[in-house]
Amino acid sequence: MDRRNFIKLTALTGSATALASCGNPEHTIIRFLPEDELTPGIAEWKPSVCPLCASGCGLTVRVMDTDVEVTREGQAGVTRMAVAKKLEGNPDHPVSRGGLCARGQAGIQVTYHPDRITQPLKRTGNRGEAKYEAVTWDQAIAELATQLDGLATAADQKSLAFVTARRSGRRATLVQQFLAKFGAPAAMAFELFGNDVLRRANGLSFGREQLPTLDLARSRYVLSFGADFLGTWNSPVAHAEAYGAMRQGRPGLRGSFVQIESHMTQTGANADEWVPVFPGTEGVLALGFAHVIVHEKLRPADAAGRAGALIAGWASGLEEYAPDRVSKLTGVTVHRIEEIARHFAELRPSMAFAGGPPLAHTNALFTAVAVNALNALVGNINEPGGIFFTPQVATADTGPSASGAAPSFDKLAAGIVAGQLPVKVLLVDGANPVFATPQAWKVKEAFAKVPFIASFGSFLDETSAQADLILPDHSFLESWVEAAPESGSLVAVMSVAPPAMKPLYQTRAMGDVLLEVGRKLQKPLDLPWQTYEEALKTAIAPLAGGKDIDEDWFAIRKQGGWWGNLSKPAPPVAAASKAPMTFVEPQFDGDVQQFPFHFLPYPSAAFLDGSLAHLPWLQELPDPLTSAMWSSWVEVNPQTAERLGISDRDIVEIASAHGSIQTAAVVSPGLAQNIIAMPVGQGHSMFTRYATGRGANPIAILAPVMEPETGSLAWAATRVKISRVGDPDGRLILFAGAKEEKPNEGLR
Amino acid sequence: MAHKWGLAVDLDRCDGCGACVTACHAENNIPTVGEMQAARGRAMHWIRVERYWEGEFPNVRLKFRPVMCQQCDSAPCEPVCPTYASHHTADGLNAQIYNRCIGTRYCANACPYNVRFFDFFNPAWDKPLQLQLNPDVSVREVGVMEKCTFCSQRILATTIQAKAEKREVKDGEIKPACAQACPAKAIVFGDLNDPESEVSRLAESPRGSKLLEDLGTRPNVNYLQRLTEA
Repeated sequence: MDRRNFIKLTALTGSATALASCGNPEHTIIRFLPEDELTPGIAEWKPSVCPLCASGCGLTVRVMDTDVEVTREGQAGVTRMAVAKKLEGNPDHPVSRGGLCARGQAGIQVTYHPDRITQPLKRTGNRGEAKYEAVTWDQAIAELATQLDGLATAADQKSLAFVTARRSGRRATLVQQFLAKFGAPAAMAFELFGNDVLRRANGLSFGREQLPTLDLARSRYVLSFGADFLGTWNSPVAHAEAYGAMRQGRPGLRGSFVQIESHMTQTGANADEWVPVFPGTEGVLALGFAHVIVHEKLRPADAAGRAGALIAGWASGLEEYAPDRVSKLTGVTVHRIEEIARHFAELRPSMAFAGGPPLAHTNALFTAVAVNALNALVGNINEPGGIFFTPQVATADTGPSASGAAPSFDKLAAGIVAGQLPVKVLLVDGANPVFATPQAWKVKEAFAKVPFIASFGSFLDETSAQADLILPDHSFLESWVEAAPESGSLVAVMSVAPPAMKPLYQTRAMGDVLLEVGRKLQKPLDLPWQTYEEALKTAIAPLAGGKDIDEDWFAIRKQGGWWGNLSKPAPPVAAASKAPMTFVEPQFDGDVQQFPFHFLPYPSAAFLDGSLAHLPWLQELPDPLTSAMWSSWVEVNPQTAERLGISDRDIVEIASAHGSIQTAAVVSPGLAQNIIAMPVGQGHSMFTRYATGRGANPIAILAPVMEPETGSLAWAATRVKISRVGDPDGRLILFAGAKEEKPNEGLR
Repeated sequence: MAHKWGLAVDLDRCDGCGACVTACHAENNIPTVGEMQAARGRAMHWIRVERYWEGEFPNVRLKFRPVMCQQCDSAPCEPVCPTYASHHTADGLNAQIYNRCIGTRYCANACPYNVRFFDFFNPAWDKPLQLQLNPDVSVREVGVMEKCTFCSQRILATTIQAKAEKREVKDGEIKPACAQACPAKAIVFGDLNDPESEVSRLAESPRGSKLLEDLGTRPNVNYLQRLTEA
């Protein structure tokens, strides 16, 4: 040992001893210089964008200096960093207008989650075992590049598949360009609670393949067909703001709201009139309303001539949809049908829209188109207080399109399992299809057959645990973040913001990683940007239309986005054309005798499709209707429960033709006797310490029934049976109501 | 004139989404207690959304009501505290001094609104979740009682700022975390001593009422009734 090392060693052991004697041996004395420019104790407010759902709400992030444990060049220590303290709504943002939902509030815990993946990982154990070793970014990027080079060498670029959550904006453009230049098929967007049926219907009816923007604030009569628009559907923060204004924002005028649904949602609880309806018959009810309006000549004069092809043939009076027949089909009384129809036509401006379970049946496209036509009949489109479509930024600069459309996700999985679609490299970004698809799709089996999977995920979940390589993305607060809201605003919006804080770990922005991989390939891809920021700036800064693009960009990033009137909005898609307008009975999977109940899974208020179940604030957020926390449950009508001998909190088994799950029962008056409803979100087999092994996943037992026109999953089309299998065992935790039987048992 | 802080909650705007609940956790460093303790009724929510079912299927209704500390003028929690931890401030708040609290829990027993929460354990955050903590709000230790403060840290910051600028606090300038987050703008905070303030205006509403008013607690939260007809 030389002198230098001897001194080092004594210093280290000495300080270690001194620390141990303080009783806090975990406190290191290494203190790095701050890397941020800080004013101690003074909060800064920075713009950001909430990425937790597709609404694209604008955020304001409160940033303050804090001690953070970090590792710098292998040395653990503490540094002073400017970090996010709270997320709040951006008051200037046209979608969220200062509000922020519970999920958005909890978004900060994504960044500070104790189980985040902190550096690139390479698989060492079997698939799904989640055994990984740390690798450097150079190694990880080289590994991915090697895999892609392998495909290129074998001229097999088509065997690259990319799975993503539905994302709009530049992130999607970047992925699309990467795939196109590489020669792979387009990325596959997978969303359990997607709205593809509604987009298709709006394309057919109005030439706009996007979700509607609801001008609730100026409406007098709102007719919602199953849409949980104040909770989980479309743009809930924008809707809630406008809803408040609709109710109490106009002196002397309070808008009415009718909810038509089979299971009471948080939104339905707020309705003036709650109209339960047989599942899958919402569309025929819409035509029943139309019949009354046409028959009683209630159609406003100013609406004539504008609906055009949408209501072709209605002049004859929709004779097949007279209230008595519709009443038999839907379970809604004739009197009520007539009354709602009259109100809808007379209390104008009015609006109708469909979302959620009605659009998750096999006849969903008919339902959506029928509701659209009902709007057109009384002239509610593009009128104050009616339905609008947020102007979309034209994405003309997207370059070459991918070679060949992507198959739908179920077809991809089936193809891989059958060996017909030889996917050799699979990239996953932000989607968890292993969790959020019916077991009948055999996604896990399909993934097992793919030789190489890479994930950009920040957490080990059911899907990323299948990956051979994990290239962890930054959290949205540490990264450039953007969203192109397709609804929720009357003016065009591009939300975009720079990182609100420096990264805590050795993570990298997915966009930058893709660009680097593109450069590292043997045949570099020649993408038009060097960084993700550049990809954002080149498309978004010109929207402001100023002389100096840098000045525009500075202003946009400071504001948290660009919004205003577009000089060249995206043109409508194909004009209104013939759409299915005849009621077809919804098809349900499972024999009525053997499986007597309609099974209605619904996005939970806290976790949506389950992608937010890892956030402890949301786990402990009482559910709006049941006050349940940390649990999953199934809702049963009181009479059904009595008939089957089921009491509150009893353990029940729900079985479809495709599998069974067990969970606790909640006896609830908010649904009919032949329906049972269950929130989606829990039941993760792997998703951090807060969600793993908690509750049951209703998606698993869904039948692989598809809406035929769009090929999206008809997630409300499964029949099940239910039976009591056990006494309450404490797995259901309610904030309200009776406490656990023996509160002191096991108390530490 | 001294302030007298109050809230108005418009139940006709409130849609029961629970944004206020999470916002309050974020602002006030309220710990999540976890599954085991939540099962024992020890989950802490300074604000909660109560729900009331009425009727039977199909004629069923559900009503929401966010409930937080009502900051009563005659607060039952105050006189029972042997250490004056629970006391009344000059601007009308029921304040809790954590350092004085010895955990008798008399106040929680006395409170008819069930809005006081006892720290059965020292709060713990799995690292690095502690980075989310708001440095303006103290973290409460085991054995003390905690409750909604109307975000007194925000009230304080704004009044100090206004004083430095030699002006009065403007109406709407202070927003507790619940009111700020509320997408439907159902919660309004302000000075009940200022007859021009929004919260005073709402307090005059014929739809207004106070929770368990007949107990004589004289709460400072006004609930504006949800209407049932158009």
